[in-house]
Amino acid sequence: MTSQVDSRRRSAPELAPPSAPPASEAAPNPPASGRPRSEKPPPFLLDFFPLETDRETRLSRFYDRLREGRLSTTRCPKDDLLHWPPRTACPKCHTEELAWVDLPERGRVYAFSAVLVGAPLGMEADVPFAVGLVDLEGVPLRLVGRIEGKPWNALRIGEVVHIEPYDIGDGRFFYRFRAAE
Amino acid sequence: MTVRSVAVVGGETTRFGVRPTTWSELAQEVGAALFRAVPELRAEDVDSLFVGAAEPERFAFQSHVAPLAAEQMGLRPRNILQRTELACASGQSAIRSAYAAIAAGLSDVAVAVGVEKMNLPSMAEANTAMGCVMDRPWDGASGATAPPFFAMVAQRHMLEYGTTEEQLAAVSEKNHRFANSNPKAQFYEKSFPREKLLRLPIVAPPLRLGDCSSMTDGAAAVVLAGEEFVRRYTDSPAWIRGTGQYSDFHNLANAGSLTDWVGLKIASRDALARAKITIRDLDLAEVHDCFTISEIVEYEALGLCAEGKGGAFAADGRGEVGGDLVVNPRGGLLGCGHPLGATGIGQAVEVFQQFAQTVPQVRQAPDPEWALVHNLSGSANVHSVMVYQRGGAS
Repeated sequence: MTSQVDSRRRSAPELAPPSAPPASEAAPNPPASGRPRSEKPPPFLLDFFPLETDRETRLSRFYDRLREGRLSTTRCPKDDLLHWPPRTACPKCHTEELAWVDLPERGRVYAFSAVLVGAPLGMEADVPFAVGLVDLEGVPLRLVGRIEGKPWNALRIGEVVHIEPYDIGDGRFFYRFRAAE
Repeated sequence: MTVRSVAVVGGETTRFGVRPTTWSELAQEVGAALFRAVPELRAEDVDSLFVGAAEPERFAFQSHVAPLAAEQMGLRPRNILQRTELACASGQSAIRSAYAAIAAGLSDVAVAVGVEKMNLPSMAEANTAMGCVMDRPWDGASGATAPPFFAMVAQRHMLEYGTTEEQLAAVSEKNHRFANSNPKAQFYEKSFPREKLLRLPIVAPPLRLGDCSSMTDGAAAVVLAGEEFVRRYTDSPAWIRGTGQYSDFHNLANAGSLTDWVGLKIASRDALARAKITIRDLDLAEVHDCFTISEIVEYEALGLCAEGKGGAFAADGRGEVGGDLVVNPRGGLLGCGHPLGATGIGQAVEVFQQFAQTVPQVRQAPDPEWALVHNLSGSANVHSVMVYQRGGAS
């Protein structure tokens, strides 16, 4: 009981930045998927980022591939329909037999803005940061994502950006875009 | 389909703003205000209560708020008690649910109340709550909260149609000016001339502070009654004549065009068709100006002007008293603030008072008969519309 209270207190500051988790402890369980598990435990409190292992999501392959530098999604072979975000059932025919496909690494900015004030917990230190909608090259997908690489006021519509998977700081991976400087 | 007619027979709001008060205290305050505003209402008349609340779990660390609100307001619902959650449209959702229950004969007299406590010691905490309205592990994880999303709508509208910052400011100036006639508004007695609006800091480019509605604490409540009970409470009911709603996506990747709000076209078309009127019959509209660009796109999607002409509609004063129709006379979300669960109900209170002609003349629509209320929620991925008619026969 006491140790629970203690660990709760230790974890409390973590409420703010997911990029600065508490002192790491040994993972209580061995990794359920084959990939090497971060030595850091998952967050005590949920934050914006998903829990990514196959103990937590049926989309763990998405994150495994992200860790390998590949952005992927699901495709319904029956409907020839590319999904975003990746899914476990097709919204059109409802089959659960979906295929994984890699997505193009390049895209063009369709629209963008930036967060100059009013960032959520865990993102305050990143302000200002650019957010955009990006049309991926050659597929009918327009993804939202952070855009790094240059200041928001130097970006322009139509600009080429590249997918960049990244470690959010506690072993979990997410994706963002990077513009050429 | 013939259903029992239902009307809003009274309502009231608390002061909206940064309030030194809790969620429960707001519920008590609006309960007291409601019983003062509708003197014939007895607590035992109210057989059902619908509680619009978007995010009390995050903002107030409180779940199961329907019985909490009932206790705070001194009500003991015996037919239907429930919370309605539809983010920014949670309030209208409570009214629609009460309407459906009364129309179906499951309730005779119901209260729809909306309560939201949004201002917290940590603004980042409040922004986190707002971020969860989006598809959290994708859009939220990308930092795509409401301001950058609606800023991208504005950017595309400027690119595709030449809409200007000055036209955005025209919306903000109008709604803040109307709010100056509304002592319940967050920005009551605050002046925002266009030159000042154009100098305010940028929040999410191209949107400035004056283009964005605020974090607001507030509550609002209305009483709805079935046709045989209406005259017990008022001589100037606001009859619900039509509703419409549409949702076609959630994740931002599936939004399609940012400037063509198909969902609003469908929802408003359906609501107007059910009321058997056209957009030209409206005397006033309370539309969801969470951002200035929203009101501009809404003019277009509602069919008040051609595609791309919403900026000119604003700049030409067509939404003013004496224009085509009065848009957001209460002060809108920009002027009143936007306590998520209370907003849609505050709009209905304005419609009721406009029909009763009890609002200050500077914002009174001339002899209004028809009103439309619109709420969007999230990233404009749900549109909810209601059409009201003044008094007369059921």
